[in-house]
Amino acid sequence: MVDPLTRDRAVHRLLYLAIAALILFLRLLPVNPAGHSFPGPDLMLAFTFAWLMRRPDYVPVLLIVAVYVVEDMVFWRPLGLWPLLMLLATEWLRTREESLRDLPFLLEIALIGGLWFAMVLARRLILALVFSESVPFGMELLRLLATLAAYPLVVALLQTGLGLRRAAPGEVDDFGQRR
Amino acid sequence: MATNNEDEDFTGPLRRILIAVLIVVLTAVFLFWRIDSPRAERLRAKFIDRFVPTFDWAMVPVTKAIDMVASFQSYTRIYEQNQELRRELRRIESWEEAAVQLEQQNAKLRALNNLRLDPKLTSISGVVLTDSGSPFHQSVLLNIGGRDGIVDGWAAVDGLGLVGRISGVGDATSRVLLLTDSSSRIPVTIMPSGQRAIVSGDNSRFPPIEFLVNPELVRPGDRVLSSGDGGVFPTGLPVGEVMETRDGRLRVRLKSDYEQLDFVRVLRTHSKERLKDPGVLIPPEAPPESPSATGGEDG
Repeated sequence: MVDPLTRDRAVHRLLYLAIAALILFLRLLPVNPAGHSFPGPDLMLAFTFAWLMRRPDYVPVLLIVAVYVVEDMVFWRPLGLWPLLMLLATEWLRTREESLRDLPFLLEIALIGGLWFAMVLARRLILALVFSESVPFGMELLRLLATLAAYPLVVALLQTGLGLRRAAPGEVDDFGQRR
Repeated sequence: MATNNEDEDFTGPLRRILIAVLIVVLTAVFLFWRIDSPRAERLRAKFIDRFVPTFDWAMVPVTKAIDMVASFQSYTRIYEQNQELRRELRRIESWEEAAVQLEQQNAKLRALNNLRLDPKLTSISGVVLTDSGSPFHQSVLLNIGGRDGIVDGWAAVDGLGLVGRISGVGDATSRVLLLTDSSSRIPVTIMPSGQRAIVSGDNSRFPPIEFLVNPELVRPGDRVLSSGDGGVFPTGLPVGEVMETRDGRLRVRLKSDYEQLDFVRVLRTHSKERLKDPGVLIPPEAPPESPSATGGEDG
């Protein structure tokens, strides 16, 4: 007998991995290599944060770090830096998830946008500190904006497709568990 | 307020230790990447070598489907294309005549001079496997690698011109850094005037020309060839032609067709002899290492 909560978690974690693999796959497709003049949204980032804000127990730390280490490897980014920032940001949000539950959606977007901006700034700062080249700032900002614009869509998709939503008051028991 | 630490299967302190360990490990990985970059990049190449071909089975049908859609779109323009090709053909016919004459003349002169051309430019062809680029890093992954003899730094061309440079070699894959990437710098010669310059990518489709001594000698439409300065590239590969943007900056319109990058040829470049020993000015003639390296007696 498997406890339904445990099974639910395992299924959703696998689903997260599958979405990560799908996004990676789509980005790797050899379609028009030079057509990247306008940076599209970083869907993985949007998905990760949307899940984290809704069901933090479905996206454990190790999973996030593993997905981002693979992304680092494949997309020729500095190794380890972005997963580290992701780890810090997601942990920061995770410890506050409870108090953020009744945050209006617009404020959630603003909060997450601010967090992403801080992460991007931190990355530039650290890369500058170790005298490493970082990507053009304007492009990064454009990408951030595109990701923010895609965030509501991602949230809507998660809500309708997977039934993920913010916990309602009283839904969570004293131990932080649902149901 | 209940603490939120129990939302994992671990208890609080254990979880905190896990986070701390992860932070330390990731920091160590980053420092390792920064300090010993070549080794980290080799590791990365090895990882991609393992990882990306696992996507292959799924990638082939999707790529084919997209290709089909693209070619269907081109069917709708087939009449215009036909007209255009006819016009081009007529223009090229006259050139062909000129080329044949020049070739004959060239052969005669060569025979007179007893000149032997260096056969060192042989090539290996590969197929573009994935586009591992992003808006920030423009590169493609080829299905040829170390086992085919690819070496870091070799030039990659398509049928028309220079595409980029090999940067990162795995066993079965290698990565081509495109000329448009922001970390790509290629020494070039701009042809009628013979000016030397650097084409440095900036992620736009038309990379700018930098370090030009006399920009007034260069006109839009001039040919840009790789110059081979610094021993990075073979000399004389066509790169593109000069264009002037509205703000007066000189850029290169690349000759290679980045929109349809399917097959890429990687040119074998044999490293030039280097003077390592400061005491000996003329290096002793070392026997060529591989049989393919024999280029005649042109030491």
